[in-house]
Amino acid sequence: MATYVQIDPTQKLEPFKAVKKIPLEEYFTSGHRTCQGCESALVMKMMAKAAGPRTIVLGSTGCMYVANTTYYSTSWVVPWMHTQLGSSGSAALGTAAALKALMRKGKMKKEPINVIAFCGDGGGADMGVGAISATLTHPDYNCLILLYDNESYANTDIQLSGSTPWGANTTFSTPGKMKRIMHRRWKKNMAGMMAAGHPECRYVATICMSYGLAGMNSIRKALTIGGPTFIHSLDPCPKGWDYDPYQSHEMGELAVNTGVWPLYEVEDGVLKLTGRTQQIAAGKIKRQPVRDYLLKQGRFAHFTNDDIDYFQSKVDAMWEKWLVPGVIPFRREVEEDHPPA
Amino acid sequence: MGRLFAIEIIYRGIYQKTLASRISRAIVLAAHQEGKPGISFGRYGDSPERNGIPAKNFAIVGTDQETLEQGMAKYEPKEVDITIAVDDTLFKGVESWAWYGLQPVNKLLKPGGTLIVTSRETPEALIKMAHRKETPYQLAIVKGTPSFSGLWVYKDDHTDVRILGAIAKLLPELFSLKSVQKAIVNEWKDPVKAESAARSCERISTTEVMPNQGNPEIPYKFEFPKWHEMGEGIAIPSIPAGRAVEDPVSHATGGFRPDRNPTFKKFTTRTMRPVVNFDTCIKCTLCWLQCPDSCFDVTPEGLYDANMQACCGCGVCEAVCPVKDCVTMVNESEFGDNASQWEDWKKDKAAYKIWLEDKIKTRSERSHGFRYRGQYEEQIPEMLRIAREG
Repeated sequence: MATYVQIDPTQKLEPFKAVKKIPLEEYFTSGHRTCQGCESALVMKMMAKAAGPRTIVLGSTGCMYVANTTYYSTSWVVPWMHTQLGSSGSAALGTAAALKALMRKGKMKKEPINVIAFCGDGGGADMGVGAISATLTHPDYNCLILLYDNESYANTDIQLSGSTPWGANTTFSTPGKMKRIMHRRWKKNMAGMMAAGHPECRYVATICMSYGLAGMNSIRKALTIGGPTFIHSLDPCPKGWDYDPYQSHEMGELAVNTGVWPLYEVEDGVLKLTGRTQQIAAGKIKRQPVRDYLLKQGRFAHFTNDDIDYFQSKVDAMWEKWLVPGVIPFRREVEEDHPPA
Repeated sequence: MGRLFAIEIIYRGIYQKTLASRISRAIVLAAHQEGKPGISFGRYGDSPERNGIPAKNFAIVGTDQETLEQGMAKYEPKEVDITIAVDDTLFKGVESWAWYGLQPVNKLLKPGGTLIVTSRETPEALIKMAHRKETPYQLAIVKGTPSFSGLWVYKDDHTDVRILGAIAKLLPELFSLKSVQKAIVNEWKDPVKAESAARSCERISTTEVMPNQGNPEIPYKFEFPKWHEMGEGIAIPSIPAGRAVEDPVSHATGGFRPDRNPTFKKFTTRTMRPVVNFDTCIKCTLCWLQCPDSCFDVTPEGLYDANMQACCGCGVCEAVCPVKDCVTMVNESEFGDNASQWEDWKKDKAAYKIWLEDKIKTRSERSHGFRYRGQYEEQIPEMLRIAREG
């Protein structure tokens, strides 16, 4: 790395060795108006827990802004500020730069402060992707951008986003009598894109808080490695995915075990599959059929067997045809694509 | 000036969104059959809805256009002829998106108005749950398990038409059974649904609730700065860090209870609550760690006590608990207060065990929407049987 880059020290946050070592203190607490069984609220809680008390959180518009900080009320214990829908990247960089400047000028005590900006899939993978990308190219600012992905614009009652999976029912893709599948695009590969496209970014990871300990340790690593980092979390959403909220935890496990959601981290350019995904890739456990995942969600209730088979074939291709399985969708040759009519 | 009718439907956000809008829309369509203009709308302040958080729909009908327009000049009705609660646990109070604090389910009812509810409980059990009201009102029960589904797949168990049929009996000035049956057939092309409405109309009866009956507690409320009191930019105090928990018997302190947002308690979101068997708990931490609402207080001995003001009843704790029957979700209508289970257990373990076993044994089945494809098809026949047999 070039010498003109001035990286400030980060906090020392050791990985938690076991669930029983996780501190009892909460920095994002009860009294938010999220849905029953909201996994994104769980991500906020675990993110704040992993980061600890010396943390500033910035939230772009979305469920985790609207539901957590309704009129004159909050569930945050650590300082939190709202930022615009597409500007989580700018807010993270700006805050990190401001802290750096204030400390350099002696207007603030010199100490490492965690800066985390979160965004939903609408705010991050759709609107904010430019600003996130820009932030990840600035190696001298310590900040984490966490994308909580519930696969739709869930706050405003489930409009389709670039992260919505193929065929899912949303208010923009209601299945009809003439056309059953109204959403015909595959989910955007956000973490892969960020990892592949930002050589100076030292850490990109995917997580799912059904595996809470691993997810929290990933956040700790992102906050301690230095420079801008990016984490993409898949959050099952009982409202938009249409399932009984007691299944929230199981739904995350199913996403990983079916191979739909690969868990990995890219640290200093080195790719490592993690958790169950690593075991699946190593052949230690079998990938579960996606059918088990799809049939438990009302958003796929209109799927025929052909649709399920097609979904399975796309997930299979992700593991068998991609040059970097589960991460980068380059192939050796053009593959034919035959979506159901 | 003619007569203005107002009906509100209080429902569980998302789960009953489709159900509530079907009922309020059909009320207006049935009134149209008799030449009465009307309008059906969801309450803007309750949007965006969240699973379980109470929300409202309104149907406003006038005997003539001018009366309706006068009625609609108000943002939403201050009093209603009929309140419909499509879930009986709403009787414990309503804390929605649109306001801060708890509002009684019967708050908007006119003197002598009717509160319709779908429930399998007795009138006595339901009256006990609702807050007291200064004026008498009527309680009418449409017998059945409250109908819960989700945003995309609707559980068509005839709850909608059975409530419509009941309205024809309870407020015949609004519309007759014949009119509502016509509206049902026009809208849903299903004569069986019209029959369900007729049966419900025939069967529905009311119980009078007097001012001295019901929950005597005064519902809590909060005062917030008005818009004209705000400055530029808004900074609000964050939640203080929490503190240790005190043992009610030994007075030892330890563990951790987080401070919580004081202005939004989540318990009216709940239709089920976890009951915890502290004797079999292995302290694995999973319920506490995986709770999206941070509702578990950690006790000095390292047990996890679900705080009943913060728990919204999602059931994730039951799902992740590795011990059989250690955490069990039980219908909220079985409980009279929000007391700490751990404190009760500390004070008298034998009595707690009896209480716990009784709650688990008598629990009635409840579900929170879509679990797997084909589930509604399995549940609907039972509801149709209740509709037929009463």
